Amino acid sequence: MADVVLAEGYRPPPTVQGTWFAWLRDNLFSTWINTLLTFGALYIVYFAVSGVWAWGITNAVWEAENRRVCFDILAERAQEQGVDELTGACWAGVISWFDSFIVGRYPRGEMWRINLGGLLLVVWMVPIWLPGVRDKIYVGFSTVFLYPFLGFYLFAGGEKGLFLQVMMSLAIVVLIGNTLNGYHGVRTGRSLPAVVIAGLGMKASSDKKQRNTLLAIFAAAFALAFWAQMDWALVSVEWNLWGGLFLTLVISGIGIAFALPGGIVLAMGRRSQLPVIRILCTGFIEVFRSVPLITILFMATTMFPLFLPEGFTLNKLVQVIVAVCLFNACYMAEVVRAGLQAIPRGQYEAAMAMGLGYWKMMGLIIMPQALKFMIPNIVGNFIGLLKDTTLVSIIGLFDILNMLKAVSQDVPWRGLHKEPLVVGAALFFIICFAMSKYSRHLEETLGGGTQR
Amino acid sequence: MVETTTETTEAETPGQLASAASSDVIILLNHVNKWFGEFHVLRDINLSITQGERIVVCGPSGSGKSTLIRCINRLEEHQEGDIIVDGLTLGSDLKNLDQIRSEVGMVFQSFNLFPHLTVLENLTLAPIWVRKIPKSEANEAAMAYLERVKIPEQADKYPGQLSGGQQQRVAIARSLCMNPKIMLFDEPTSALDPEMIKEVLEVMVELASTGMTMIVVTHEMGFAKTVADRVIFMDFGEIIEMNEPHQFFNNPQSDRTKLFLSQILHN
Repeated sequence: MADVVLAEGYRPPPTVQGTWFAWLRDNLFSTWINTLLTFGALYIVYFAVSGVWAWGITNAVWEAENRRVCFDILAERAQEQGVDELTGACWAGVISWFDSFIVGRYPRGEMWRINLGGLLLVVWMVPIWLPGVRDKIYVGFSTVFLYPFLGFYLFAGGEKGLFLQVMMSLAIVVLIGNTLNGYHGVRTGRSLPAVVIAGLGMKASSDKKQRNTLLAIFAAAFALAFWAQMDWALVSVEWNLWGGLFLTLVISGIGIAFALPGGIVLAMGRRSQLPVIRILCTGFIEVFRSVPLITILFMATTMFPLFLPEGFTLNKLVQVIVAVCLFNACYMAEVVRAGLQAIPRGQYEAAMAMGLGYWKMMGLIIMPQALKFMIPNIVGNFIGLLKDTTLVSIIGLFDILNMLKAVSQDVPWRGLHKEPLVVGAALFFIICFAMSKYSRHLEETLGGGTQR
Repeated sequence: MVETTTETTEAETPGQLASAASSDVIILLNHVNKWFGEFHVLRDINLSITQGERIVVCGPSGSGKSTLIRCINRLEEHQEGDIIVDGLTLGSDLKNLDQIRSEVGMVFQSFNLFPHLTVLENLTLAPIWVRKIPKSEANEAAMAYLERVKIPEQADKYPGQLSGGQQQRVAIARSLCMNPKIMLFDEPTSALDPEMIKEVLEVMVELASTGMTMIVVTHEMGFAKTVADRVIFMDFGEIIEMNEPHQFFNNPQSDRTKLFLSQILHN
């Protein structure tokens, strides 16, 4: 604070201006016991790391046709170095299976569709993280509500019905508009509609006229996109060929996208003044929270079809996704409820006293504050969801865990267990750690200006 | 003067009450009763307030003062009797309710500013979302009100960065942005340090001089003496005494009022 007047007698706190050497001495070698412990700990770390390092890096075999060759190479090296035996990882197996870890049994010729889908998702979401971009909330909404249609057609292909065609065209127009909006936001800090209006020289005309012009442009773009997509024909890829990390991300991605809005609705229902809604929501939440996910998955795939009308079959993937969504919405509902309870009563009263109705009060005043409190728990739940998704391997979907295990069943790589699992762990770690880091970043940026 | 000024009889229906009470009666409470569980918090309250009147409500804590004004914008629901605000009867009719609330401004003891919005956004939120005023107009009006409460330079700060007195002035400006017909103040200075009470009271005195209808729950007797048209003393959920300030302070009728005044004026 620059405008603080320092009173007489003020002096800086007695900090120790330590060098790294002083730090070492204070923290690691302050007494002879600490010194001993430090060296002991260092030795344990060395022991653990050197073993893993030798197995995974120095002794590892990177190129081989099958597991037998891996062993032969290791035995040869052992002879050269004059030791009885060398243990080393056989990464060759992992490398030859790597595509399968990522996409499962998806036809290799069609893999570009998954890559394109992933790329489009990134392009779609990038404006959220760019500075100066306007209307980021719509970017978020469109990612959740429009991208899935585009993604679905890319991944599944086949016949596209009229509804899918309409939603896809909408998604394409919004994607392009969204990207242009991001571009203009970064360059000039203005939104796309503002740029278009200015470009047409319509500054002076009425709000209504401006809106109609924008709607007309949107309609024209939509028609163009619809016409363009009519010729597109992608080969159908049945859902049972989907697999690997791709399938894991599809299930958990939809789960994440649905869990938060579903959780908000359930939490608001649980706090509702209307007894019927409150009892229904509470019952729903408690039932789903009291049953293990794996049980719900089994129920979804075996019992759910019994309730459906004759001749109406849902594929197993859809059933699993519905089960994961409901399960996580219930967990999220409790997180949201905790966040809502952290908001002081006065905030509700002030909002009500202004004449804001229930939905505006929740949307403008309560939720934005509550969501900020909830970020660590929400992201924690998302990470849990991503990892829990591996349970679908038990009911026979070829998610990443099943693909990792499948390596050891493959004839050339029979018995190769450790290496694929290490790779799987690394993949999960990268994704989950990134999520957790991002949540810390969100907390800091959102908490910055608004500390109470 | 234990009598209230309500001149209506119980036989009349609420609708007739509103029309009979002539145009300049803006708030009418008729035999209002309220309970919190078993606790009878408001007992047979009769009160009529005309347009432009400044009322100060005082009384010991737990006497029902806050509950009384919170009933006027229905933050609390009364169980018996009628409350008519600006010709609209308070009931379970929701549409009616939001309309009344948008015309009745309320200032709270604990400010209740929205911490995630800047001062300016706090002020423009309700005009934009309830009154549907374009953002640029709302911003302009908000700046004018910030000017009036003497803190235009704080417009882009967050409430957490302001002092208590500044926050309360923002809260007053926020209520004024809705162009309310009535302003309710629920102990607006009780949570403030002494040197900040003055700046808030100055704003309230200025507001009173514009002819705003105000109901103020406060223990600031100086404010009551200079500004109020009528002072109401409440105890145990009843209106014990109601009089114009000179009479009220110099010639209290009831023993309980005398006791309360002696306690509050001697420290």
